[in-house]
Amino acid sequence: MKKRRDLLLYAGLGAVLGLALLALLLLGPRWLRTPPAAVQSVAPTATEARKIRARLFYVNEEGTALSGIEQEVSYGEGTVEQARRIVEAQLVTPPPPLTSAIPPGTKLRTLFLTAGGDAYVDLTPELQTNHPGGTTNEILTVYSLVSALTSNLPAVTGVQILIDGKEVDTLAGHLDLRRPIGQDARWVVE
Amino acid sequence: MVGLDDLANIFQLQIREDAAARAVTATYKTQTLVLTPDQSLVSASGRLVSLPAPLIRQGRRWLVPVEFISRALAPIYDTRLEVRPASRLVLVGDLRVPRVVAQYDSSPTSLRVTFDITPRANATVTQEANRLLVRIDADTLDASLPPAPSQQGLLTGIRAAEPNTIQLDLGPRFSSHRVSQPASSGAAAVLTIELLAPPSTESSATAPNVPVAPAEPLAPGAPNAPGSALPVFGEANRPTLRTIVIDPGHGGEDSGVKGAGGAVEKQVTLAVARRVKGAIEGRLGMRVLLTHEDNRIGADGRAAIANNNKADLFISLHANGSPQPTTRGATIFTLSLDRFGEDARRQSQADREVLQVFGGGTREFSLVEWELAQAAHLDGSQAFASILDQKLRAITGMPAITLQRAPMRNLAGANMPAVLIEMGYLTNADEEKLLTSNGFQGNFAAAVTEAVTTFRDYLEQGPQVPEPPTP
Repeated sequence: MKKRRDLLLYAGLGAVLGLALLALLLLGPRWLRTPPAAVQSVAPTATEARKIRARLFYVNEEGTALSGIEQEVSYGEGTVEQARRIVEAQLVTPPPPLTSAIPPGTKLRTLFLTAGGDAYVDLTPELQTNHPGGTTNEILTVYSLVSALTSNLPAVTGVQILIDGKEVDTLAGHLDLRRPIGQDARWVVE
Repeated sequence: MVGLDDLANIFQLQIREDAAARAVTATYKTQTLVLTPDQSLVSASGRLVSLPAPLIRQGRRWLVPVEFISRALAPIYDTRLEVRPASRLVLVGDLRVPRVVAQYDSSPTSLRVTFDITPRANATVTQEANRLLVRIDADTLDASLPPAPSQQGLLTGIRAAEPNTIQLDLGPRFSSHRVSQPASSGAAAVLTIELLAPPSTESSATAPNVPVAPAEPLAPGAPNAPGSALPVFGEANRPTLRTIVIDPGHGGEDSGVKGAGGAVEKQVTLAVARRVKGAIEGRLGMRVLLTHEDNRIGADGRAAIANNNKADLFISLHANGSPQPTTRGATIFTLSLDRFGEDARRQSQADREVLQVFGGGTREFSLVEWELAQAAHLDGSQAFASILDQKLRAITGMPAITLQRAPMRNLAGANMPAVLIEMGYLTNADEEKLLTSNGFQGNFAAAVTEAVTTFRDYLEQGPQVPEPPTP
């Protein structure tokens, strides 16, 4: 009988303590309501700030090939969204001494991925109008984008560049861009 | 393919296999080449060089394609190396080894034997008993001597005799010979020897003319004088060069690359194209067409000009640009095929059809998509690129030439061997000055002309060039 009374007493005390703690959290000082950092990363607004490490591609010292350099890139939910973030990062003009092969002013319009692994990257016309010309420049521009996507995302095996939503023959009169282009190790040096 | 161990013995290379790095290194003095198994790229002093086949292991040996010598080893070697695939020669050092090409032109009473000697060298002709000896002032000879047309009985054989002599074995109808004064033709010397039959036999020689089949027209460039010479079997089917299309890169409002000092790519390519056209027409007498005279023209339009004029060779001229102002060197591009192109190539082999042609007889046709016509000519294109590489190095002194394959839009639709030459970087101030100079442009035109001459010989005589498909 005494045992049962003690059990009820402990349950009652636990309930009171629980209520007191809840009241303290809801009505107490501000610092007590701040969630810990681990909780912050899964909040929807925090996704934007989350970063991944990805290889972006810049012109090497000789000016004839690309070097892959690990950079922080915004996290994107799913392959397509991540592909967009990688391309956007690749389009940004890097600080010296890095040299980008992407003409300044180029922006990503949209990007979609086929079931066969071909990414269609739709870019603004600056990619063409601001291009300096020359086969090497054109190769470096195209393979910057191809390498950034294919080396970071195994689901992407080919890249086709569109400009203003349309297919193009070439960027500057040399490389055939009518079909998706796959990764080519010849243009990347470690 | 050739063994790396053999090359190591000949060229004093240190070969080392690095299993951890999955690489094979070949070191000559202080210079190192890095090869990767099953890959066709070689790192040569910081530059990547493409080979036509990968490094492979066969038993205990590593094998590389022969082109390894000219493309990877030659640039780091301190002695001149030159590979001549047609004659299976590797020249080490400054040897005088002119290429000697013999051609025949027969009439009822004579047989004219013409020797093109490149580069120019003096020659003397002497008769010893029933043979003529042509001694050429050289260390040895790189000779291309097609079988002599022996049916007239003037010449029964021709061969190279060590080290610098060509021997003509005279036939029973030989009476005398005439030697023309050696003439110069660009970088080559031309020596002509006429073998004459005795006057008394002239009438009998003309009598038994072999009837020529009416349905088989004489091939241009083949022995002329209908009915006078027996046809050389297979001669009519051999490919040759009659028409060449030169494509000056860019044009019209498309200026191409702007140079560090203001030079414009479209002007440089047009100027060089005109000089190449003049040099080939003047020296070889071939028909040479330009795709445009400073007009904007699309890639398909350029290929269409070559295809519609039944050109046998397409050469696109460009000047390069790089983000780095120090980048330098020339590149010769041939087309690389993606998976669509590989399909087209297989299709072109599979879809051959034999059709009746006007005038009787049959001809083999292959069907290939217009936009991927080049897929059927890649072997010829790579052969020409390799020849061009050697001639440019020898004549212009351009030290850094790279052979590359890439999906080049201008080459895709060309239904004949085709290359794109990036002559150098306009974004490099020194190369800009070079490319716009008269001296370089003249030498470049001479080198292309030499390459065309050699390529024509390959097509007509050489067993090394794979048989191009019938257009």
